[in-house]
Amino acid sequence: MISASMKNVEKSFGDNKVLKDVTFETREGEIFGMLGPSGAGKTTIINILTKQLSIDSGEVHVSVESHEIGLMLEHDGLFSRLTALDNLIVFEDIYGIPHTRTLEVIERVGLGDAKNTVVDKLSKGMRQRLVLARAVLHKPKVLFLDEPTSALDPMTARGIHQLIRELRERGSTIFLTTHNMEEATHLCDRVVMLHQGKIIEEGPPKEICERYNSVKTVMDLESVFIQLTGGGLK
Amino acid sequence: MSSTKAIFKKQLKGSVKNPETLIQFMIYPVMALVMGVMTNIDFEGYYLPQEMIDAMMANMPNLATMMATMFAGMALIPTVAGIIAEDIEKKSLRFLVMAGVKPSAYLIGVGSVIFFVSALTTVAFGFIAGFGGMDFLIFSASMLAGVAASIVLGATIGILTKNQQAATALSMPIALVLGFGPMAAQFNDTAARVLHIFYTQQLNVVADNLNHPYLATTPIWQSFVIMGANILVVGVLFVVVFRRKGMGD
Repeated sequence: MISASMKNVEKSFGDNKVLKDVTFETREGEIFGMLGPSGAGKTTIINILTKQLSIDSGEVHVSVESHEIGLMLEHDGLFSRLTALDNLIVFEDIYGIPHTRTLEVIERVGLGDAKNTVVDKLSKGMRQRLVLARAVLHKPKVLFLDEPTSALDPMTARGIHQLIRELRERGSTIFLTTHNMEEATHLCDRVVMLHQGKIIEEGPPKEICERYNSVKTVMDLESVFIQLTGGGLK
Repeated sequence: MSSTKAIFKKQLKGSVKNPETLIQFMIYPVMALVMGVMTNIDFEGYYLPQEMIDAMMANMPNLATMMATMFAGMALIPTVAGIIAEDIEKKSLRFLVMAGVKPSAYLIGVGSVIFFVSALTTVAFGFIAGFGGMDFLIFSASMLAGVAASIVLGATIGILTKNQQAATALSMPIALVLGFGPMAAQFNDTAARVLHIFYTQQLNVVADNLNHPYLATTPIWQSFVIMGANILVVGVLFVVVFRRKGMGD
């Protein structure tokens, strides 16, 4: 079953065309990766799928209501005067979630010891973990993660990967953007490569690499991207 | 209901940790009180003439109600606009809307905290003015109507702006007109006629009715009708602006 899809979507900001004939679909219960350098249009796609931006032309479909979506975006949207736990309690109250679930999630992202710390005093990595905790708190059907592990240490990132896999096993669809090729290769079931607002390749990471393997070279995702665009992902 | 409760709790916790906001609710009654108390201070052995003290104390109800009108008009609009602009600037409101929080739940959640604290300030003004019995109730009811209108107006301005700086820039001129307007209306009949449709002027009219019933020109019920209409207009404006900004359903 399709969780979210775009068909021939075009989007411009003034004269700048940021999405060009974008077509893809994410299936229920998969981890779907979107790869591309800054300015490729990844965040615009997330904003369109979460109904924060309109499109110029094409079709967009998201199979769930907005409250069934979990979000981890570039701007964290945290209440800076509240503690980490109080930030989650706001959403616990909105969703009607048991408090034990909130405590479980905050422990799970490694913020158990910092739960009573005011958000303003948390490090960037801790804030990012708190945002992830908020995104998964209500066990969303679709989860949008924008660079979920970019400011995290390897151990915490591994824990986050495990959490993302568990969400998938429970049936959630995870839509993530990343620059981390290793993360995409090991975590994603399928990926699309986005370059200057256009999808240039898509499929399971292993299959994409195999498509470009030659007798002499075994390709990884970054090598494929460089071959296709002449530039790196970062 | 759960959304409203969530926003209320969030706002209460946030406001308690924000002294800049809390001081707005105390400074106006404190100023009215200080100005009244000063009339009884012994300035190095020099006492004000008793008749002057009597005259100033007799003026306390006017002083308190004037400060109360200024509080309703000037303090609340920038405060509420700032709170909401902060939620927009930090993208917090976006997450609330995505979680299913409706405009009404957000407004009631944020507004009821401000309303509750303003009610305490109103009681303080009522005591300083020396109102008792029915006068106290009428004064409090008029103030709470004015507070409600200012909260919704402040919220509308907050939604319209992108950050706290813009919220202050937009709300201050409006707050100044609504806060100081009634004072100007006391000296200028044209200003009084123009401002008649605004709730802060009606706060002053109600206060004048209570302080000097023999001079009353507008019945109190009429003031409440005008204030009710003001609340209705700003309420509709809030919903329209919230939806136009893409934060609605």
